[in-house]
Amino acid sequence: MAKYRIDVATENCSGCSRCELACSYTYTKAFNPSRARIQVKMSGADCSVRFSEECIECGICVDQCLYGALSKTKKQEDQP
Amino acid sequence: MSRGGFAGKVLRVDLSAGEIRREPLDMALAERYIGGLGLCLKLCHDTIKPGCEPLSPENPIILGAGPFVGTNLPSTSRVYSVSKLPSSRTIGWCGAGGFTFGVMLKNAGLDHIIIEGRSPKPVYLKIFDDRVELKPADRLWGRSVDNTCQALWDEFGMPTGVMCIGQAGERLVPFSMAFVDRISTLGRGGFAAVMGSKNLKAVIVKGSGGVKVADRKRYKTLSKAFLDKIRSWPHLKQAQELGMVQAFSFVPRDEFARIKKRRAACVSCPIGCKDVVEIPDGPFKGLVKCTSSVINLYTPALYGFTDYRESIKCMVTLDEYGLDMFEFFGLMAFAKRLVDEGIIPRDAAKPEIRLNSLDSMETWARKISFREDLGDVLAGGFNGIIQQFGEEAEKLAPALVKGMHPYAGPGSAISWDRFGTMELGQVLDPRGPHVGSGGSPTYFASRPLKVFTQHLKRMGAPSEAIDRIIKNADGPTDRQELKVGALLRYSHAWFTMLGSMGICARGHINRFYNAEICADLYETVTGIPTDLPALRERVDRVWTLYRLANLREGLDRGKDEIPPEQWFSKAGFKNYLTGEPLQRSEVERMIEDYYKEWGWDPKTGMPPH
Ligand code: SF4
Ligand code: SF4
Ligand code: SF4
Repeated sequence: MAKYRIDVATENCSGCSRCELACSYTYTKAFNPSRARIQVKMSGADCSVRFSEECIECGICVDQCLYGALSKTKKQEDQP
Repeated sequence: MSRGGFAGKVLRVDLSAGEIRREPLDMALAERYIGGLGLCLKLCHDTIKPGCEPLSPENPIILGAGPFVGTNLPSTSRVYSVSKLPSSRTIGWCGAGGFTFGVMLKNAGLDHIIIEGRSPKPVYLKIFDDRVELKPADRLWGRSVDNTCQALWDEFGMPTGVMCIGQAGERLVPFSMAFVDRISTLGRGGFAAVMGSKNLKAVIVKGSGGVKVADRKRYKTLSKAFLDKIRSWPHLKQAQELGMVQAFSFVPRDEFARIKKRRAACVSCPIGCKDVVEIPDGPFKGLVKCTSSVINLYTPALYGFTDYRESIKCMVTLDEYGLDMFEFFGLMAFAKRLVDEGIIPRDAAKPEIRLNSLDSMETWARKISFREDLGDVLAGGFNGIIQQFGEEAEKLAPALVKGMHPYAGPGSAISWDRFGTMELGQVLDPRGPHVGSGGSPTYFASRPLKVFTQHLKRMGAPSEAIDRIIKNADGPTDRQELKVGALLRYSHAWFTMLGSMGICARGHINRFYNAEICADLYETVTGIPTDLPALRERVDRVWTLYRLANLREGLDRGKDEIPPEQWFSKAGFKNYLTGEPLQRSEVERMIEDYYKEWGWDPKTGMPPH
């Protein structure tokens, strides 16, 4: 599976959890944002987006973000 | 096929006895009533003691989230509550979006919560998966909505779904609202007072289960196609940028740009319309507000506030107490008029009621929420004031529907004057004046009739019905016809469909859905065989039951479904198509059309048994 570098622009994040929903559904076969490998926290005007160690950089969460808060760049394969 | 969407359990809480039971969701019932809003109405109908007082232990609270809530289908965030509401004294729905509550409810294995009785002491209901407890709320009682949410998040961490009330709900103010995840409201009608009457300050929920989908393969195809449709919508960026400001010109764009901190969205929503703003300067510099929409923050401006920073501050205060802004301002305008006319003694109204003054409005919000002095009378709502000051006061009252102030119409906060489905719906939704269930293209003035044809098709109306509702769509304007009453019947059905599945009904979202897609998605997610005719039948069953439940409560066409006099005054409503002043006889006919289109008795509004 291709791997991606994922960039986050927290200022665009709406807290919609679409990324978390997609990740949890892909890897646990059920939707539950708190079991996602990406965790979005909104508090007042602040927002943080973190990836857990199990994240395999598959980029599925990025495809679900329509706010431009996540973007992905394909990593070079076979890099030394 | 396996089953999905539904979590499979209902929680029953008896606050009087302190007993909690988890029961399996009756899947046959779920199928018949779809879920979410539909099942909330059915469970309320089956639980409530007919004729009970809204603020008595016999009035149940039914909470629920439909089968799509917790999935990533776009904007499937809806949480519903159904109870007998104290303002209208009818069984009514309140609906909210939110970030966490609905999803966590489902992840905790629950589709619905039925809350009955009255706790002897203030409590909150804590649901952490299977561990469900009633916890003392001594530390929370007396606190604002904001403060309560924060205290619970500080203690239990994020993400925890929180639904709670402020001080107005604690003191049974019939126009108090409950908040979901601090940002969305279960509003209008006094649902928070029902919670207050039960000594229930909050419900919090966390779950570690997951929401499953019955047919994963089909889900993948359908949901991808759906999201792609939204992704390629040419207005997506603008809609995300502006939110509700797009449709409401009273929020100046330059001010909005100055205060906007970020766009916020309910869970799963790709076109969020919630706002996070910050006051950039002046005495309230740095005040951050997460709101259902920035347009709400400008409501005080409609009543004369000139400084937007003061408007925002005022709304922060109303939200903290948990007061319905439309009812509050409508009521304050009425009270001021009664003072000016000498009906309320001037020295009882201290400080002076000034609708454009932050100081005055904040003080009155407090007096109402804590029921201090005259605030105690005002806390009784329009009915409370009329009871206290009698006939003379009644003569000066603004347009009222079921004792509440309709918020769209002449003399109301939103003063548009074309009479469409939302306006008529304020009389015909049994819960009292709310425009939420009556959406259609009449929301905008002067839409061409072919737009209505498309909209009716999208809502799943049969073609013979469309022919009844629209005549001469392509003909000369003076021969065109639009039956607003019959159209409203399909708006109500559409609202029922969306709410029962868990989809947000706001226009910029529901435009991507149609009844056929809903049927497909419902079958895919739940595994319950569903085609359009079957779905229509279930939807009709829900709204008809809603009416029957209220007829059982004594809802009476002759008394409860009369449009107020003020709508027909010189500055009253206008016919949607012609722009001519609206006649009472026209509205009477619309009401009959509405009943007829449902197959109910056109005179009494009684569904056949
Ligand atoms: S990149 Fe893949 S594994 Fe990592 S958070 Fe996103 S969806 Fe989950
Ligand atoms: S999908 Fe994008 S906007 Fe939504 S929570 Fe994730 S990062 Fe934020
Ligand atoms: S459109 Fe607005 S209210 Fe509806 S789900 Fe999206 S953010 Fe929530």
